[in-house]
Amino acid sequence: MDQKQTSTTLRGQKVTWKGWASLIFLILCFSGVFAHQDNFLRAFDFTALLGQFGHAEGAKVSIQGTGGSGAREAFILALTMVPTTMMAQGLIEVCQHLGAITAAGKLFQPFFRVLLGVPGTVGLAFVSSFTSSDVAAFMTKNMADEKLITDDHRTIFAAYQYAGSATINNTIGSGAALLPITVLPVGIIIALIVVVKFIGANLVRLYLAARRKKSTAE
Amino acid sequence: MEDVKQEKQLSIPEYFMLGAKKGFYITVEVIAPAMVMAYVIITFLQLSGLMPLIGQLLGPVMGLFGLPGEASVVLLAAFFAKAAGAATAASLYAAGVLTAEEATILFPACITMGTLVGHFARIVLVCKVRPVYYPIMLATPLIDAAIVMVLTRLVLALYR
Repeated sequence: MDQKQTSTTLRGQKVTWKGWASLIFLILCFSGVFAHQDNFLRAFDFTALLGQFGHAEGAKVSIQGTGGSGAREAFILALTMVPTTMMAQGLIEVCQHLGAITAAGKLFQPFFRVLLGVPGTVGLAFVSSFTSSDVAAFMTKNMADEKLITDDHRTIFAAYQYAGSATINNTIGSGAALLPITVLPVGIIIALIVVVKFIGANLVRLYLAARRKKSTAE
Repeated sequence: MEDVKQEKQLSIPEYFMLGAKKGFYITVEVIAPAMVMAYVIITFLQLSGLMPLIGQLLGPVMGLFGLPGEASVVLLAAFFAKAAGAATAASLYAAGVLTAEEATILFPACITMGTLVGHFARIVLVCKVRPVYYPIMLATPLIDAAIVMVLTRLVLALYR
């Protein structure tokens, strides 16, 4: 990729073809579009790769069994989630290393001003907020301290980060109990959360604008 | 991002295994304790007979989102921890109180408004947001969660 195309905000974070390819892979893998394919494409589906637990000879149900309850059932259920979170985190780690998350930031970058009313400076923090709660928060504080963003920008951007923080990791990690139950692909769940994060941040943006208007009117 | 910046450059399989290891510890350290807590609370509410009461009491409010009153317990658990909310929804689904569609509506809401206090410290306080904005900050994930439940319901209707 051309050096010039690397903007100041994602400086040193070049998006290579590997970044784009791994982002496309992540989206396709978690979107469930290949879940019901009967051909090789199924090899790219998260649920298909996750596979199944086997059944004991003659048993109708797998290790989780039926009729469990209370703390014991909770523990067995948590155990059955281990492979899900292990595989998901493994895939995310690889794709993040290949630049998928940076590519996602690149994709959003032209829209920061429009979608959030904050400058493109927040790019890297925005990108990291998909997978971490803390990194973006520290970056935001530093940017505000260095006057790269205004106090209003800080407030709007913090509101964006706060709701559904570390969206990808939390949906797959903290939400693991619901992965086998949800009738929507996990990719759609993540997309819905990102959409409301933007809506919420814009409500704060409106609130700040209204507040400003009121204080200048007085 | 930070995790990637390691001294030694790892190979792709090593990155996968590093992530898988993290996933293992997340399940053991975060999800399993939250699951056990959520299931114990649900079991307590069921054995004590409080669950139907909650269902009746909060039925009208949750009905706005196409959910039974019992679903409020899920959001209450999510308030403390995202994983507890998700686990509570899973346990209510297993108990036949929630349908798969209802659990799906609650899924993004648990993640959006989950760990409200913990993440307030980790994000809002770390960002050094001015205290005058604290109330609106706290309200944002709750409003977002309400919106996402309506949105998910719409998407579900289209998905069918």
